[in-house]
Amino acid sequence: MTLLFTLFLSLICLVAASDYHERLELQPLPAGSLLASFNFRSNASQQSFDQQHFRYFPRSLGQILQHAHTKELHLRFTTGRWDAESWGTRPWNGTREGGTGVELWAWIDAANAEDAFAHWITLTQSLSGLFCASLNFIDSTRTTRPVATFEPEGDHHASDADGSLPLHLLHGTLPGEVVCTENLTPFLKLLPCKGKAGISSLFDGHKLFDASWQSMSVDIRPLCPDDGSECVVQIEQAVDMVLDIDRSKRPRDNPIPRPVPDDQLLCDTSKPYHSHDTCYPLDKTTDKSWSLTEVFGRSLNGVCSPAHDADSSDEEEEGSVCLHVPHERDVFISPGAVEKKNLEETSRCFTLQPSGTFDLVLSEQDENHHRHSALETPVLSAERTMIGHGQERGGMRIIFDNPSATDSVDFIYFEALPWFLRPYLHTLQATVTGHNDRIPRSIPTAQIIKESFYRPAIDRQRGTQLELALSVPPASRVTLTYDFEKAILRYTEYPPDANRGFNVAPAVIKLAASNNHAYLRTTSLLLPLPTPDFSMPYNVIILTSTVIALAFGSIFNLLTRRFVAAEQAEALGSQTLKGRIGKGLLSLRDRVKRKTKTE
Amino acid sequence: MPVDRRKTAVFSAAVLLRLLLFFVFPSLPDLLTGRVEVSTPVNSFKRLQEGLFLYTRNVSPYDGGVFHQAPLLLPLYALLPSVRDYRLPQIVFYALIDILNADALITIADSGQSVVGRLHSTSRKNIRWDGVAIAAWYLFNPFTIATCLGRPTSVLTSSAILYAVSNAVSGNSVNAMLALGLASYLSLYPALLFLPLVLLCYDRHATGSKVAPSTALFGLQNFGVFLASVAGLLAISYLIIGDFWEFVSATYGFQLLVPDLTPNIGLWWYFFIEIFDSFREFFLGVFWLHLAGYVGGLTVRLRRQPLFVLTSLLGIFAIFKPYPSISDISLYFALLPLYRHLVPLMRYTFFAVSALLYATVLGPVFHHLWIYAGSGNANFFYAITLVWSLGLSILVADSMFAALRDEWEEENPDMRGKDVRQI
Repeated sequence: MTLLFTLFLSLICLVAASDYHERLELQPLPAGSLLASFNFRSNASQQSFDQQHFRYFPRSLGQILQHAHTKELHLRFTTGRWDAESWGTRPWNGTREGGTGVELWAWIDAANAEDAFAHWITLTQSLSGLFCASLNFIDSTRTTRPVATFEPEGDHHASDADGSLPLHLLHGTLPGEVVCTENLTPFLKLLPCKGKAGISSLFDGHKLFDASWQSMSVDIRPLCPDDGSECVVQIEQAVDMVLDIDRSKRPRDNPIPRPVPDDQLLCDTSKPYHSHDTCYPLDKTTDKSWSLTEVFGRSLNGVCSPAHDADSSDEEEEGSVCLHVPHERDVFISPGAVEKKNLEETSRCFTLQPSGTFDLVLSEQDENHHRHSALETPVLSAERTMIGHGQERGGMRIIFDNPSATDSVDFIYFEALPWFLRPYLHTLQATVTGHNDRIPRSIPTAQIIKESFYRPAIDRQRGTQLELALSVPPASRVTLTYDFEKAILRYTEYPPDANRGFNVAPAVIKLAASNNHAYLRTTSLLLPLPTPDFSMPYNVIILTSTVIALAFGSIFNLLTRRFVAAEQAEALGSQTLKGRIGKGLLSLRDRVKRKTKTE
Repeated sequence: MPVDRRKTAVFSAAVLLRLLLFFVFPSLPDLLTGRVEVSTPVNSFKRLQEGLFLYTRNVSPYDGGVFHQAPLLLPLYALLPSVRDYRLPQIVFYALIDILNADALITIADSGQSVVGRLHSTSRKNIRWDGVAIAAWYLFNPFTIATCLGRPTSVLTSSAILYAVSNAVSGNSVNAMLALGLASYLSLYPALLFLPLVLLCYDRHATGSKVAPSTALFGLQNFGVFLASVAGLLAISYLIIGDFWEFVSATYGFQLLVPDLTPNIGLWWYFFIEIFDSFREFFLGVFWLHLAGYVGGLTVRLRRQPLFVLTSLLGIFAIFKPYPSISDISLYFALLPLYRHLVPLMRYTFFAVSALLYATVLGPVFHHLWIYAGSGNANFFYAITLVWSLGLSILVADSMFAALRDEWEEENPDMRGKDVRQI
């Protein structure tokens, strides 16, 4: 997957050559999965961008960026979890993916932090409308200003020189956002071919959001070539997804999985109970057969080459669909397309016909013949969980595992916590477990944490921001824990499904290896909060008021009255209005009684 | 100076009991610190540790939602050894504060102000406990012991209040005002005690001197001392923290506006969870007005017994303040035994005491059912806080009835033991 990344870097260098590129990379992964990486890239010169003269750059997005003074934008829609243990390192080294839900970060030019935040709100509101996502819910409690975790990808130095406003980085997440087809449609509309032609014609919402993991990204950055030619604004859209081949091959009208027919079942004959009617099924050792049409549910329609000019010819040489399988494997392609194998014997690319459909078929093949292009183990694996029980308090445990036997890993750990989760940083503790002896040893945090940035939350105003520069020694596992308290909210602040819990955004880890960065994100967490009884605000108001009224009434009753002896009280009572009325009633009764007697 | 053997015995037994509990149950202090009955957002020991952690790392502890206690606590606790390494010094520190409080209580009790004042002396002078017995009531009260082990910072407020009262009864009005200034600086609400305290000082002052000084002048002088002490403490805090408005809004603003609705034994938290947003500010005002409203009424009506007004107000604050904890109750229960002579006149003692015991036992149980077991909801714990508040308010009102009756019987000695009515 580093290959993908270097390819991507080399593509960036070619920017100025053409206005629009698209590319699909297919890589079979172990356990019957397929990684499909779509990449769409176009750019507009800075001048035409400023004059609102858009060609391939989507006008709707361009105008939003100008209105919100946004210089660089990164937007991610992600669902699922990247299973690093079986799939290896992440595509693009994790730079093109976000945490579960929606993640947005942008560099905004503004005179001060308040202006930047106002622009940021404008940006989130507009993007919310554009992408049909709840981005407008990114308010001050969900916005952070990371210090060390993110770096601009574009070239901003030129704009700094001419005395323009400073750039502010703002970052927001919506971990609870459900990414679905309504986000895909606006995403496709930003493309020049709008999903009608080229590789984008493969997108089908049903398949895309049924994937084991998928990430859609939009990146906009200004690029200034080193040779001094004009700066361009580049938009890059990418979709990465891991499809379960078996699952995607199921027909849509009959999606229920069926048991494997008896005659196709592979049994473990070494089991003692193996007989004609009992079977311990074995995993298939062969690579499954699949074709583009089967897996994506659609066929690839032609090429998206809106330019139709000489520039696009470079792209054709590269081929817009690439498949990463060893050269031994047989691949059948539609007639008219041209296959080009690369020298490393691990991939091949296809140049498509401008019109007509393209399909690609891989036959079933015994896996023993080859290995998948060997999986690269990730440099670091991270896991974050909540510990403790009860709705009052809990703890956070973050585990970093460094598989390398020789090198320590330096990285930056960033987490943004919602305000109703109150961490106690003084309880932060670190333990190290060596891979060899497996004995956890408690160590002072200063040994692991090189630097830290902490901004505590303020209730209902902002969330907690924690950034730690950490270093994990070779062949060891570091566990960080800290306690937190769960706040109880006002009853109107709970969502309708209050007992489901609240989403906590994933932590972002930036690996600072050499010059290219790699990112890693943990899964998002679900935080259960104590809940009041939502059904009885009136009862609570009435009961509390009653208790207060009882206390107030009895105390002030004592204070405002005076004591008299009981017999005196009766004498006094006869003089009051109440006493006189009572006396009158008595005499009335007596008179009535006397009358009835005489009759 | 002769050593009072009973006093020594009581004090050392109290310290030993606390140390014994700490050594036999080493996890008890942390358990109690985590209990909602002991720790509230404004006095929690754990929050103090977090504030201290940020303070010692040059992060402003008030630029966050966790720490809401007075700034002077930070350098004070920074002097104590870190609680992560040594926990014993903290327990010893809190045990010593309890001993100091008990000592102040002995001074108050031995002054006899509760039975014989300038304007009032009860006809039941013989029914009373001596200072050491009252100190023992305080030191061996389970609420006091739980407070000591749970280490909330409100203990320091209690201490300052007790010192203010003990200085007032011994005629040292300047010290009393300084101590009240410290208490108000630490937790704001003791400022409401100024009026009865100044009357107590005045009464004590007037009995001492031949010519009674002008009331208004005396009050103004003491108010000046009080203001000066608060201003002085705020000035020192400003030197420590730097941003004046930041810490004022994080401490006093927090106590006034009650943004943190963590459950406690009081009445505010659930009410303000459930109240409709548009009425929030209105009821905040009403609740504070209600709390402040008792001061005037009690001070005027019970002018002849300012110490009793102080005691009753502390009881009322323990029920109706925004973040009450059992440390406030232990302060009320510390002063209540001074009025042993009122017990025969009280009517609902049994009812009030059983309601309190009922709430004490069921409170933690229902909290557990709600938060941990999940078999109860918030109403369980809320209902118990209602019972607790009701029991306490009956106790306060009943003792007030007894005090008024006692006052009345002093004027009408022939009415002793007879039926009375209130009209």
